[in-house]
Amino acid sequence: MSRQAIGLIVVLLLFVGLLVVRAGIGKGMGRVYSERESVAMVQVEIPILDVVEGEAKGTVGTESVWVPAASDDAVDFASADSPRVEWETTTPIKPGTYFQDPSNAAFELDWPRTIGIWVAALFTLAIFSFLYKDNAIYKIAESVVVGVSAGYAMVIGFWDMLVPNLLGKLVPMFVQTHFIPGMTDTSVNWLYIIPAVFGILLLMRLAPKGQWLSLWALAFIVGTTAAIRMVGYIEGDFLSQINATVMPIYQVVEGANGSVDVYSTIWASIRQFILLIGVLACLTYFFFSVEHKGVVGGVARVGIWFLMITFGAAFGFTVMGRIALLAARFEFLFDDWLWLIDPTNQRTIPDAVAVLGM
Amino acid sequence: MLKRNVPLLITGLIGVFLIVANFFPSLSAMSEDFTVFFGIIAAMAFVLGGGSLLKVHLKKISDRNAGWAYSLIVLGTFAITLAVGLLKIGVPPNPGFPDKPWSGSVNADGTAFEWIYEYALKPLSATMFAMLAFYIASAAFRAFRAKNIEAILLLGTAFIILLGRTFAGYYLTGWIPIDGPFSGLRIEELSVYIMQVFNTAGSRAIIIGIALGIASTSLKILMGLDRSYLGGGN
Amino acid sequence: MNVHQTSWRAGRGLRRIALATIALFAAPSFAMAAPPAPTNVEASDVTGDSGGQAIVTWSAPANAADITGFQVWRSETSGETAARNASERTAALAAAEAQAFENEQKRLVDVEGLSPEEAAPQSRAVARQAAIGLARTPDALTVTETGPHGTHWLLVDTVSPNVDSLVVSKLDPTTSYTFIVYSVAPDASGRPERSAASEPSNAVEPVAAVLNLYRLPLLIILLALCGVVLLFILLARRGMPLKIRTIAGLAAVDEAVGRATEMGRPMLYINGIQDMDDLQTVAGVTVLGRVAKTAAEYDAKIEVPTSRSLVMSAARETVQASYLTAGRSDSYNPDLIYYVTDEQFGFTAYVSGLIVRDRPAACFYMGAFFAESLILAETGNSVGAIQIAGTAMPSQLPFFVAACDYTLIGEEFFAASAYLSGQPDQLGSLKGQDLGKILVGVVLIVLVTLATIAAVTGSEQIESLVSTIKTVILGG
Repeated sequence: MSRQAIGLIVVLLLFVGLLVVRAGIGKGMGRVYSERESVAMVQVEIPILDVVEGEAKGTVGTESVWVPAASDDAVDFASADSPRVEWETTTPIKPGTYFQDPSNAAFELDWPRTIGIWVAALFTLAIFSFLYKDNAIYKIAESVVVGVSAGYAMVIGFWDMLVPNLLGKLVPMFVQTHFIPGMTDTSVNWLYIIPAVFGILLLMRLAPKGQWLSLWALAFIVGTTAAIRMVGYIEGDFLSQINATVMPIYQVVEGANGSVDVYSTIWASIRQFILLIGVLACLTYFFFSVEHKGVVGGVARVGIWFLMITFGAAFGFTVMGRIALLAARFEFLFDDWLWLIDPTNQRTIPDAVAVLGM
Repeated sequence: MLKRNVPLLITGLIGVFLIVANFFPSLSAMSEDFTVFFGIIAAMAFVLGGGSLLKVHLKKISDRNAGWAYSLIVLGTFAITLAVGLLKIGVPPNPGFPDKPWSGSVNADGTAFEWIYEYALKPLSATMFAMLAFYIASAAFRAFRAKNIEAILLLGTAFIILLGRTFAGYYLTGWIPIDGPFSGLRIEELSVYIMQVFNTAGSRAIIIGIALGIASTSLKILMGLDRSYLGGGN
Repeated sequence: MNVHQTSWRAGRGLRRIALATIALFAAPSFAMAAPPAPTNVEASDVTGDSGGQAIVTWSAPANAADITGFQVWRSETSGETAARNASERTAALAAAEAQAFENEQKRLVDVEGLSPEEAAPQSRAVARQAAIGLARTPDALTVTETGPHGTHWLLVDTVSPNVDSLVVSKLDPTTSYTFIVYSVAPDASGRPERSAASEPSNAVEPVAAVLNLYRLPLLIILLALCGVVLLFILLARRGMPLKIRTIAGLAAVDEAVGRATEMGRPMLYINGIQDMDDLQTVAGVTVLGRVAKTAAEYDAKIEVPTSRSLVMSAARETVQASYLTAGRSDSYNPDLIYYVTDEQFGFTAYVSGLIVRDRPAACFYMGAFFAESLILAETGNSVGAIQIAGTAMPSQLPFFVAACDYTLIGEEFFAASAYLSGQPDQLGSLKGQDLGKILVGVVLIVLVTLATIAAVTGSEQIESLVSTIKTVILGG
């Protein structure tokens, strides 16, 4: 067996050993507790208190509403054959809450979520292993993320885009009956035939001779993009940036007593001047018609220096943010999985009652 | 002839309509619908993407190419996620309408789909994102061997801005008096000046250039001068 | 003189003193009575807009020295009135129900001796009946409007005392509105006090114009820019000589493809992670066409994993056409252009793994990228690939510049496809963009000079000229 393989096995055994040790010490690690609750809803007819338009004199309208089975309305109006639906929910609770009252029948170890924490931790370590080098564990994690994310995007695209925006506009009654009961607008919007048609044309790619029809859909999309972006960028970026740059170079800075602060005014004016020069120099850099030689070359050089400073500033700005992301991952591993740190007091037993002494 | 010209006509007509609609208030409401149309067509295009995914990985599996087991994992997780999500397995109904089993939200708490998101997708994505901390360090290290003035400017500025956001930088230049003539050299002031003057100038020029580029590219597309996405140069 | 007479005289004196004192204290409050209301309140529609805006004008009252501002109020739409009435009715019914419940509960518990839990259902039933009865009693819940002129008004804005007009926006273009104006002045104790309401203005419907004239400057600028580009395209077609400077990143494309062929390793082309609704992606697809043509000519393999299904379709069309143009349609393999996943970091994980395993000789990153730009570029660096990036995402340019061999910054990326094609039409458009930049430079220099002169000399005319240009044309 090669040295590398032996080294890897040793590391793995060490890792597993440490995990076993951690699991044995104190309260253990990597568990999620939840509270099991049963939700029961019953459908009742409750009277509408206010007058409804068009109702006959002396009658009181009723509306059909689903209410929790333990609510006052259910007590008053539910009968033995009122429709009833029940299901169970598990809500995660802090481990500290469980430790305080382990004999509570509603509290239990949540196996799916506990397994989930371990899966998430192992996936996290698998991705980090790529920093050392490409390996089988990373490849497994990569395959999982590709498969899951592709499926996830498609599911969300179906339920959040196609169902409300396409089916909900073309067959609203069907969608309201089954998927979005709270939908109020149930009239057919015929304008949405357009994307339906173009979508089908796009899918003609799959037909052996239908590829040319899919170009119509692409043409529609690219035409929409070009038009919307052209106006959007000229209005939002082009004109607004020019607008912001049109400022007088002479920038007056007033001191606390209203008199002009000469020193600050000079510096503010110099800064405004440098800003204008910078914009013009950078624009010269982007010039395509003239080679960067001679005077133009000199100005373009100044322009690229401005650009480099711009890029450096953006670079420096993002470093902290990226480190914060890494810190968040470490917090997940050390807090939620290994139970080695507890910054948000998830596992401390609340002893406020003891403190109050009442 | 028809095959080539109809798509160009569609692009041109739709483009002109949408540009003009910006200026006629009665039409501008319709142009918002077009943004939704794109989302619908993109969602329908998932069939093509999914088909491509299946084809590529099934081929790898059937040819027993190197790494075919990973393709099995991709297809397996893809199929499970699709099934769990599209069929809303384990999704409780909407509490307002419990008699409609399909009315619940697919990523409500406690569902299998939400489990997949929370314990598979989210940690994998977030960790990939967090790796940037290491990559940014390696990029900085490599670029420290700066050979020309541009690289020195980029790194020097990055260093100043980074220091300006930490306590170390503050103490480094904290001895410079705040009211004196050199107060601009204090690192937090220097950072502000760099952002206000140099960064703003560069960003503005880049954005103006981009806007001009977009206007020109859009024009060429709408006029049919640029039609590679339709499969054809000239 | 008897005592009564004396005391009456004394009393008269006392009464005089009392009257004088009262008058003394009363005088200031008479002088500081509520300020006079504005007059001549008129409203008119703002013409040439996209609807929903009206101008309200009024005349400040005479003797209005101490007025600190004016308040403009508008009438409610019928929808707002209905909603307000409905919520007031619901609140009144709920209050009546709660009161009836409390009374009945008290009666059952105290008088009939039931426990609160036993009494609750009956109390609820009684309370419901009370509310139902109240709702059906005519005029029991009718809301009497106590606002000025017998209707309810909503505050629009408060303006300073030297202003006599206000543009009201965000109105419903299909409804008619009237307006009233109040004056505000400090009272005796210094707190602001409102006048009586002015007479209501005429009714106005803030309709949308057919053509939004406020956006006309934008249309003119658009037409000017497009006209300039078109002009140069036409001139180029007529044979005007075109010289375009060398852009290092684009000149390196041939070098990159050649390297890939030599080393027998594939090239990787990433079209960004956005969809075809981003023009950067469309530009990236166009550049792909040009790069694929070179690759076809050199017989190099180009792999294009995409993050969106539509981009995959467009890329396949482009690459197929490029191979056809290069006369290598049999070398075209559609399976080299495939969809991976929509999700940003799933795609990044896949491409990173691909780069490390396949060790491409050249990596192209052309399109819209976000945070993953650095991961991809650094991974490519680690395998020694030559990397050419192009994007118009200002936030990602620093990372590409730091990590790639060549970066096309912003406008250079949009120029790439024109540059690589070498066609006069396309190159003409680049010249048009250059003229656009010259125009920008000239406009900036002229306007900044004017603004500086205005600031230095204090000339109000020049300053108002500059600010009018900024507001009307530059949209600010």
